[in-house]
Amino acid sequence: MDGTCLELASKAVIPDPAEGEVERSLIRRAQRGERAAFDTLVRRYDQEVLRMALRIVQSPEEVQDLYQEVFLKVYRSLGRFRLEARFSTWLYRVVMNVCLDHLRRQKARHEMQMPEIEESQPDLLHKLPDDRPVLNPERALEAQEIGSRLQLAMARLSPRERLVFELKHCQGMKLRDIGEMCGTSEEAAKNSLFRALQKLRTDLQDLV
Amino acid sequence: MKCEDLEQLSSLYVYDELPPGERRDFEGHLAGCDACRRNLAHAQRLDRFLRQCPEPEVTPDLLARCRASLDDALDREQLGWRAMLRGWLWSFGPLPVTRAAAVLTLVVFGFGLGWTLRPRVDSLEPTTANRNASAFNAADLNNLRIRSITQVAPGPQSGGVRITLDAERRVTLEGSMDDPRIRRILVDTMKGYENPGIRRDTLDILRMRTHDPSVREALMYALHDGNVGVRLEALKTVQTMECGVDTHEGLIKVMESDPNAGIRTAAIDALVQHLEEEGTDETVLEALERLANHDQNPHVRMRSLAALRKLRGME
Repeated sequence: MDGTCLELASKAVIPDPAEGEVERSLIRRAQRGERAAFDTLVRRYDQEVLRMALRIVQSPEEVQDLYQEVFLKVYRSLGRFRLEARFSTWLYRVVMNVCLDHLRRQKARHEMQMPEIEESQPDLLHKLPDDRPVLNPERALEAQEIGSRLQLAMARLSPRERLVFELKHCQGMKLRDIGEMCGTSEEAAKNSLFRALQKLRTDLQDLV
Repeated sequence: MKCEDLEQLSSLYVYDELPPGERRDFEGHLAGCDACRRNLAHAQRLDRFLRQCPEPEVTPDLLARCRASLDDALDREQLGWRAMLRGWLWSFGPLPVTRAAAVLTLVVFGFGLGWTLRPRVDSLEPTTANRNASAFNAADLNNLRIRSITQVAPGPQSGGVRITLDAERRVTLEGSMDDPRIRRILVDTMKGYENPGIRRDTLDILRMRTHDPSVREALMYALHDGNVGVRLEALKTVQTMECGVDTHEGLIKVMESDPNAGIRTAAIDALVQHLEEEGTDETVLEALERLANHDQNPHVRMRSLAALRKLRGME
């Protein structure tokens, strides 16, 4: 995870101009209704979208519906996207809004429950890749426990706290931009982050 | 700076969110405060711990399911009214909101104007055949699906009414697979109809006629259908077909490029079965080697290796 989050942050800071032009060309073609271009655009980002949604929602079944909702929204509103803006930022805003709405609906239905600790944790760590250099059962079990503890801790965060944490910690966004994306102030985003970290620190103190 | 105010600043410091002046003040305070240094160290440990936690894994099956359902949703979207409006608006290029609103206002105004200036009935030239309602029996009327009604007006006879509408009529065709017209409808359905369930049912029927060149072509086309269930059924059918260059090439393509790892594995099994009956094919062996070395899915790599061992053992 260390490498992944840092890679994402560094990619966001130093974009490749040639790559940007390829993407703008895809967006223009998709805006003209070219389905193949839209499909290519989806495939560039969909795995990261799924990872983001899984971190926030933590359920593969729910994530499938959210995936469709995100990309249908993108498809319907792509005509309004201005090419001067960064597509990834715009896309992640859609992801965040969809996840936030979903979490709020869940909360309204009183479905925000503490997930039970299971021996296997399919949502976060259900499979170790076979090609890892060291397949150590003891380490696998430890990783499994960490995964389930983290899942529990994340479930205790409010929807807003979970989103702000995801955007700050995993996507490396600035708090000012997070506030704007969530329709709130930088100060409010800061407070949400701080509360999230406080809760995580309390729940995970014996592991840290 | 007071220590109780600095706990939050530690987290912001770790995330590099402190403005330069505040950062300098914070670092200056740290130099003389053990408690705040310990607090900062804890914040940094928490950050390192969270970054080492396992990432949620996006499995190939989850990704394939998501992509397949999005494909179907986009197919439906493209056939809907939104697509028509969007296509028309996007033909102007990306519009600023105000221009788009202006265009939409003109469209609404145009429709309103047209509605109030309906042409007189007797000046209309019907573009479709006029039918007396008595020509339709109850079953015909039940099977009539009205898409739009363009006019309702008094009819030419006293007490009569004329309704001009666009309609589809459900038709049931029955025939034999020997009839090339029936086969053509089925092949066209396989290639273009939007409902994946109907495409899958069509596959079941086409299975009976795999020696027909057009059917064979449709089945090879179905190997790349947008719906994973249709692709799997197509694969099972191709597996039973008489071997040819087209089947080997088609299966190799599926093996190498289908987004679903389960389908790629099934394609490997299908090719092995073909080669056990027909003899080895260097193109297939080379493709299996590439898969064994480079496929991102470990099960696919293992299956490819096992297939290679089996086929090389036959040589």
